[in-house]
Amino acid sequence: MTGKISCASRSISLTVAALASFALIAFASAQTVSAADPVNGKRVFLAAGCFECHGRLGQGGAYLYSAPVIAGIELPEESFIAFLRNAPNDMPTYSAEVLPDREAKDIYAFLRALPGRTSAKDISILNE
Amino acid sequence: MPKRTKAHNQGRRNFLKGMTLAGAAALPVPSAAAGVQIPGNALGRIKASVPGPKLIAAETSPPADDPVTQTSCGADFMVDVLQSLGIEYLAMNCASSIRGLHEAVLNHGGNRPEILTCPHEEIAVHIAQGYAKIEGKPMAMACHGVVGLQHACMAMYNAWCDRIPVIVIGGNIIEADKRAPGADWLHSAIDPAAMVRDFVKWDDQPASLQHFAESAVRAYKVAVTPPMGPVMLSLDAELQENPIKDEGGLRIPKLSKVVPPHGDSGALEELARLLVSAENPVILCDRVARTPAGMTRLVELAETLQCGVIDNGGRMNFPSRHPLNQSFNRSIIAKADVILALELNELWGTLNAFNDRIVRRSRPIYRNGTKIVSLSSRELYTKANYQDFSRYQEADLTIGGDAEQSLPALIEQVNRLIDDSKRASFEARGKKLATAKQAAVEQAKSDATIGWDASPVTTARLCAELYAQIKNEDWSLVGTSIRLSWPHLLWNFDKPYRWNGVSGGGGVGYTLPASLGAALANKKYGRLTVAVGGDGDFLFVPSTLWTAAHHRIPMLYIVHNNRAYHQERMHVQAMALRRSRGISNISTGTVITDPDVDFVTLAKGFGVYAEGPISDPQDLAPALRRAIAVVKSGRPALIDVITEPR
Repeated sequence: MTGKISCASRSISLTVAALASFALIAFASAQTVSAADPVNGKRVFLAAGCFECHGRLGQGGAYLYSAPVIAGIELPEESFIAFLRNAPNDMPTYSAEVLPDREAKDIYAFLRALPGRTSAKDISILNE
Repeated sequence: MPKRTKAHNQGRRNFLKGMTLAGAAALPVPSAAAGVQIPGNALGRIKASVPGPKLIAAETSPPADDPVTQTSCGADFMVDVLQSLGIEYLAMNCASSIRGLHEAVLNHGGNRPEILTCPHEEIAVHIAQGYAKIEGKPMAMACHGVVGLQHACMAMYNAWCDRIPVIVIGGNIIEADKRAPGADWLHSAIDPAAMVRDFVKWDDQPASLQHFAESAVRAYKVAVTPPMGPVMLSLDAELQENPIKDEGGLRIPKLSKVVPPHGDSGALEELARLLVSAENPVILCDRVARTPAGMTRLVELAETLQCGVIDNGGRMNFPSRHPLNQSFNRSIIAKADVILALELNELWGTLNAFNDRIVRRSRPIYRNGTKIVSLSSRELYTKANYQDFSRYQEADLTIGGDAEQSLPALIEQVNRLIDDSKRASFEARGKKLATAKQAAVEQAKSDATIGWDASPVTTARLCAELYAQIKNEDWSLVGTSIRLSWPHLLWNFDKPYRWNGVSGGGGVGYTLPASLGAALANKKYGRLTVAVGGDGDFLFVPSTLWTAAHHRIPMLYIVHNNRAYHQERMHVQAMALRRSRGISNISTGTVITDPDVDFVTLAKGFGVYAEGPISDPQDLAPALRRAIAVVKSGRPALIDVITEPR
């Protein structure tokens, strides 16, 4: 095996699209769940430059120091948005002027939908 | 100047005929301990041909008003001096102010030192920097003392900050009446080295050939004495080109290297007491390993104490997979009661958190009361203008001395103080650290899986694929653009040449040429040299690839192509967000797109095998295999990989 993950062949966009469809269906049927749009969240995530430090898949990266993994973020939505509005350390603050709450919620939905980590044991070249 | 001995007291004519015979034989052979070898060529080139009628006439006739040939030149002697120092290579871009030396290297020296043709002086210096970090000795580079040196400047600054010896030779024409109109004036200076004096250890402009000999040997000696650094010699073109005047007076002085400075024995004893009595000692290291012995000694100290080691990666200091390597577990600094910093470039920055905010702020990450000890040769030599010495860090004990040199005595002192009860507690400490190390590795592997199959390729996937292809080779990673991250997390750096550090000064345009210099040094040992460099860095010095192809230097170079000056892009983004202006305009001036750079065509144009751009991670392994086959055949190869930013 040269590194392909057997159970993770779905592309991110398919995952997001599927989750978006699910969200839309759920919204249409129940009209009670959040209308956050992970597809738009991906667009905004890229447009707002979040990926510059955290990677397109939320895998983490670096700016002046390491930027953490945010795929599958476990922070509550309200805390996530509060974090953006008054970011600590070297993280740039995203004010509501440049990132309205609606778009911040979409980003959150996108991050929640990202598959994140898989089992490293299934990738042979990570175990050499 | 020492009085001439009989052996050296030759007339000019004899010098011309047999200078290399007598001169080479009379050359004081540096001691083996000093590690300097007289090149075989210097001895094997002994010739004393009988002069023909023309030469005899030329030598015995009164001087002509306008001679059209000459039978000696100062540069021949200069080449003898360079050869006596064991300098293997002269990296250079040809220049009229060093034409005398250039020709002498070729026809008197038999191309020894071997000339490396470099399309830019910055490339030449960086090649020398990378070479020295693998080979352990300096290379020379030569350039115009004005316009060439201006090109070389930034690389010299990198070498200075990296504490690496490079011997820079700059041509000049001192006497105004000897300068031709035009270029000679434009390329002359009263004091060429003034431009670089802030970041060389020493410089000189010799006024005679004997002066050159002594200054060249002194320059070498200064450059290789810790803390090491670049040096510069300005060479007058007349001195290079004109016939030798001082008949028989020339002598190459003996090189006696300075024994690296050793920390004071009393201070080392005090340090040993602190380390042995500490509950949680931590060793920080940066540019410790000057020689292969450095890593061995540091491992011995750490294992004796069973303490954590945090490696800032300036050299191949400590094995990456050693259980005591806690470089990715820096929280141990907060628990340390004794911190030993060995040859740290950035001690304050390692011990303090700094936040780049509107109101900049910082705080120590070590506990109040922690004993801080610095053992470093850096304490012995500091200059004022450029601020590479970093912010002042308070310490409880500062020992001026070379860490590698001082480690055996420190280890001995530590061993004297350890009894069985200490040994048992140390062992328990070591086990905890080993557990933490294993957890960090598992975490890294898990993090590496995120986006494993994504396009652009994650840097984790790139590094994992590369390692899979080289792990069974005798590899040497000599450059990286992705910080000290995935390779140092995942790969097994277990030999002194597995890694050779970073640029030093952060000057962009380092990775490609410095990697090539390291590859040149690795070539003779049959090692597989690999490097990962950024696209922005590459574009400063792309013609390095021509030098690689021309001189048949095998190296696998991966372009970590994120199509941006990514660090700077993030800086502009931070500014825009700080001002609540959004980031819609930040691509201007920060991205390298429209058009995308075709690195493969670029490389092929320089005669280098190339593949890419690769954006599907599935394509990486076969491409790497093909490229490695090329490298193993003795040629350079490049792979362009479209990657995640970091």
